[in-house]
Amino acid sequence: MQTNVQNDPKHIIQALGLTLRIGSTQLLDDASLAISTGERLAIVGPNGAGKTTLIRCLLGLTQPNSGSIKVNGCLLSQTSRAELARQIAYVPQQLAERISFTAIEFINMSRYAQGSGAGIHQLDEYGAQAIENAIERTGISHLKHQSLSTMSGGERQRVNIAAALAQQTPILILDEPTAHLDPKQRELIHELLTNITQDQEITLMVITHDLNWASANFDRIIGMKDGQIMIDAQPNAFMQKEVLMQVFETELLLHPHPETGRPMVLPNSSTNLQLKP
Amino acid sequence: MTDRNKFKRLIIMLGLTLACALITPWLGHHLTSPNVILRPMADDVDAIIFWQIRLPRVLLSLLAGAGLSLGGVVFQALFRNPLATPFTLGVASGASLGVTLAIVTGIHFSLLGLSGTSLAALSGAIISIVLVYGIARATGKTSPSTMLLGGVAISFFFSSLILLLQYLSDPGSSFRVLHWLMGDLSRASIDSVLQLAPFVISGIIIVSTLHRELNLLSITDDIAASRGVNVQRTQMLLFFAVSLMVAGIITVCGPIGFVGIMAPHICRLLIGPNHRFLIPASILFGASFLALCDTLARNISSTAEVPVGIVTAILGGPFFLWLLLSKNRLAS
Repeated sequence: MQTNVQNDPKHIIQALGLTLRIGSTQLLDDASLAISTGERLAIVGPNGAGKTTLIRCLLGLTQPNSGSIKVNGCLLSQTSRAELARQIAYVPQQLAERISFTAIEFINMSRYAQGSGAGIHQLDEYGAQAIENAIERTGISHLKHQSLSTMSGGERQRVNIAAALAQQTPILILDEPTAHLDPKQRELIHELLTNITQDQEITLMVITHDLNWASANFDRIIGMKDGQIMIDAQPNAFMQKEVLMQVFETELLLHPHPETGRPMVLPNSSTNLQLKP
Repeated sequence: MTDRNKFKRLIIMLGLTLACALITPWLGHHLTSPNVILRPMADDVDAIIFWQIRLPRVLLSLLAGAGLSLGGVVFQALFRNPLATPFTLGVASGASLGVTLAIVTGIHFSLLGLSGTSLAALSGAIISIVLVYGIARATGKTSPSTMLLGGVAISFFFSSLILLLQYLSDPGSSFRVLHWLMGDLSRASIDSVLQLAPFVISGIIIVSTLHRELNLLSITDDIAASRGVNVQRTQMLLFFAVSLMVAGIITVCGPIGFVGIMAPHICRLLIGPNHRFLIPASILFGASFLALCDTLARNISSTAEVPVGIVTAILGGPFFLWLLLSKNRLAS
């Protein structure tokens, strides 16, 4: 099931027929997708499905063998790195512990493309305001002058997101933002992202393994497998036993959320029983 | 530490470096009378010692120290590896192989005011830069990790060739090679200062304009790219600027060790990882550190000079450990 990607001006991102093969591994296989302005899109799929490769291509970090990508109407191949950095902000999976910059130093760096480009550059008032807002939104005022190397995983992840927000781009791409966090920190990050997209006209693309979060908070879910986009559907249509079986090749138990009514994945009791003889 | 405090520390370092530059030319076995300062062109012993021997030597050590330390800062950021040095990409072993060949074969020539050994060193360094870059290009990606591996491989290969040549040569040549390999500032002259200055100054200018890029590159290439840095172009520019600067330094002074690996770490402990401050700090620290080490090297023994590379390691090692331990004690 493929999306019909057309040249529509309301699409802020359009990718057409992305294919990437390295050696004998097919990382992307004719993947196409289009995202509208303000849309919240979750990308799910088993490990090695090509999710990260897909977003790396959209970010211009990996070159596909064939296919084309347009961001805000401009071909990615003809867009400079600085121009792309004014369109898309990227939150990598996690920041390494070895980074000893303070939070504010790290966030300041996000204004690179907004500055003069090279040379000695001071933040203008507008940039300083953007940074202040990002710090406030992510609730890290108290961590401003702390080194990233002394922060907890959750704190570091909030700084990671604050830095991307300070870039003030219309598109935000996150790679498994809660992969290494405990349940409380995970909730905090989920809430933070929900608030951001509710208040601002930001197009959000998130890779996640948290199907329930994807179901509850996103407009669309894309299911990938073997480098292909298998399913591109709204949460209610995506969260079906057969669809999940097709993407993950495992049977998942579904139940409607008691409050929102959206389908949720539950732990499969029979699998658990097998582990405890 | 606030930016204000970092500025203060930089001013103090600048003051200490200036003091070092002004005081060290007066230190030595021979006491020169203070009035030599007024007669740079005179041909009495005092004036010659001050103007033609000690001053060029201090200037050379300041230039070489600044360049080696800065090279270390850049390579440690580019490779995100605390063990990277300006010599990591094989520049030093290339230069050393060139010099070993020149000494062992006994070829004597000079060109454009450069001696045969200097030309051999420069050619060796440039050949190794081209080789490392060529290897990285041939594998299809000029990423720092590919270049790092290429550099290490070239270094090992050249070092074994040097050992082989030394083994096969006569003891006299072998000793001259060994002496050169330890790094030595005793060949300093006004000419060598003027030869080296353009290498170091252009390196400093290029690196200084790229401090924001270095901050981002020191995190990850992906972060740097997604924030708008043209990663490959910046890496190549820094790689060539630093390698040429280091090639110039090795050509004139030999491969002086330790400054390039330790000075950046010491400066990071003193002033933090932000390259806006780290770059000037490492230039100042590297310059004054090497000038002081060379002054000691000239004066430790009354009969013979000790190669400065030995002094840098003997002094720098314990100093670095002391700083590391006291910093950890303060932190806890």
